[in-house]
Amino acid sequence: MRDFITKSKALYQKHKIWFNIAILVILVVLPLFIRQSYLMGVLCRILLYATLAGSLNAINGYSGQTCIGHAGFFCIGAYCEAILATRLGLSFWLALPIAGIVTAIFGGIIALPTLKMKGIYLSIVTLGFSEIVRLVALNWEGLTGGPMGIKGIPVPKVFGMQFSGSHTYYYIFLAIAVLFIFVTGRVIRSRVGRAWISIREDQLAAKSLGVQTSHYKSMNFMYGAFWAGIAGAAYAPYVRFIDSTMFTLDEGFNILSMVIIGGQGTLVGPVAGSVIVNLLTELLRPVGQWRMVAYGLLIIVMMWWRPQGLVGASDSILSGNTGKKRLSRKAKKGVSA
Amino acid sequence: MEYFLNQLINGLCQGSIYALMAIGYSVVVGVVGMVTFTHGEVIMIGAFASFYVFNALGNNLLLGVVASFAASWIIGMIIYKVCYEHFFSAPRHISLICTIGISILIKNLAQIVFGPNQMPMLNVVKNNVYKLGPVQISTVQILVIVIVVVLAGILSLVFNKTKWGIALRAVSQDKTAAYMMGINVKRTAMIGNCIGCGLGGVAGMLLSIYYQTLSATMGGSYGMKAFSSSVLGGLTDIRFSAIGGLCIGLIENLGITISSASFRDVFAFGFLILVLIIRPQGFASKKGARP
Repeated sequence: MRDFITKSKALYQKHKIWFNIAILVILVVLPLFIRQSYLMGVLCRILLYATLAGSLNAINGYSGQTCIGHAGFFCIGAYCEAILATRLGLSFWLALPIAGIVTAIFGGIIALPTLKMKGIYLSIVTLGFSEIVRLVALNWEGLTGGPMGIKGIPVPKVFGMQFSGSHTYYYIFLAIAVLFIFVTGRVIRSRVGRAWISIREDQLAAKSLGVQTSHYKSMNFMYGAFWAGIAGAAYAPYVRFIDSTMFTLDEGFNILSMVIIGGQGTLVGPVAGSVIVNLLTELLRPVGQWRMVAYGLLIIVMMWWRPQGLVGASDSILSGNTGKKRLSRKAKKGVSA
Repeated sequence: MEYFLNQLINGLCQGSIYALMAIGYSVVVGVVGMVTFTHGEVIMIGAFASFYVFNALGNNLLLGVVASFAASWIIGMIIYKVCYEHFFSAPRHISLICTIGISILIKNLAQIVFGPNQMPMLNVVKNNVYKLGPVQISTVQILVIVIVVVLAGILSLVFNKTKWGIALRAVSQDKTAAYMMGINVKRTAMIGNCIGCGLGGVAGMLLSIYYQTLSATMGGSYGMKAFSSSVLGGLTDIRFSAIGGLCIGLIENLGITISSASFRDVFAFGFLILVLIIRPQGFASKKGARP
């Protein structure tokens, strides 16, 4: 089995471009073969959550900061687009990047405390931030419509073609997901990404080697928040109605569970997590509340046997290896060789 | 002015419940050395245990306290076995996420078992309102404050005078050293976790009596309050955590005097974030020994 996996990995690495193009082509022509809008809706959700979980993975998986209030960024992006589109009549294509930038600014503000604290203190700040955003959206009736939410968000148009319904909107989600994975892949291989990973593995060592950790950590937060905002802005015209109940803490935990189950610290991980969790959601729909029980069990089982997730980075600190363990393993290998 | 003073009393009462939750939380964090997200669910279990005991055996407050403490103790044991025991030497975020998982599990199992609706709590004590000049204070409020003070007193006695308490404090200071002194660290950590959870359960009972309502989803926001109160106090310091709980209760209730009641949580979390930015270690003075 392991042999097969390594061989297929090698094959993939060899013809990487062709495989990626093939996957992309399959994804592009997929809507032509699927008639039911229900299935398309599921696919749309998978793509949306792949972006969301990926943006959380950029924070949790690559720089090792535990952000658990990601729904707050999602919320800001969605409301930003909705307000810009309904109040100012801004086109979707302009509102999308603006929503992303606004969310990134909020991410930067949230990252300010992270310069001083780490670990659990950071988690509680993100959690509190997420709740504050939701409560403000619920109570600021002048701007957000309060409990009534925002109705009738205009659908995006390009060259007279309307993106309404899951069949056409699928392409917007697909474009965003592909763009996200491409850009993140480039960022991770750059100097910035290497700095993030070094912070995740050992912050003190990174600092002593001249990585400006606070600078890169806040940049990391802004990057994750930016893509969460973009995902939220793309989500608002898709459902055409948003209110604050869509962005509760449970939504944040949902995104987090995708990252955990799929795998932290890799590009494929969140996508796999999104596919698994969303399919599970649809398959377990008949059993109702037991679905969430299954989630909880799945997260615990994952933490017991594979803390880095299904396809997570197994050679990192995420998999439960502390520095000592890794060193001893390497030493053993050296002896046997 | 009258309104303001009454809100001060309300804040003091609510703050003392938060203080009890925060004490439980900081006992858990101090002794186990890991942060938990299950405290809200523990609170909920305590509230339901007392609810069923009141329903079955009549309005005996002492019995309710014992029942909620015991039920939360058992939940605490399960949480300890699942989330902490295997992860003492692993990176912290693993047990953190494990507690999130078990919190989802307990919350949804509770919704299946207890039903998803809000339930009215019984009138356990006869509620009289006493007037002291412009200030009003009710029997329930006095009772809540008394129970919290008594429990905190018992806890401080246990922690300072008994063998168990000394073992607990030793484990919370340094696990390796405690191990070398012949303390059964894993067992002691479990007892500490269970004591913390039990206090949370009693706080749940007080909350459900104070607000006259309980539901399977009540845990979430209260767990957050307990968490933020004990973060304010520096996470592991019990006395400062209690002060943090009082502060959060007061800030909430004074905050809603100047705006609407729906902004209650915004004040609580906003205050927390503000304190964390200015003074990341919370109220506690020592910088070290925090997870």
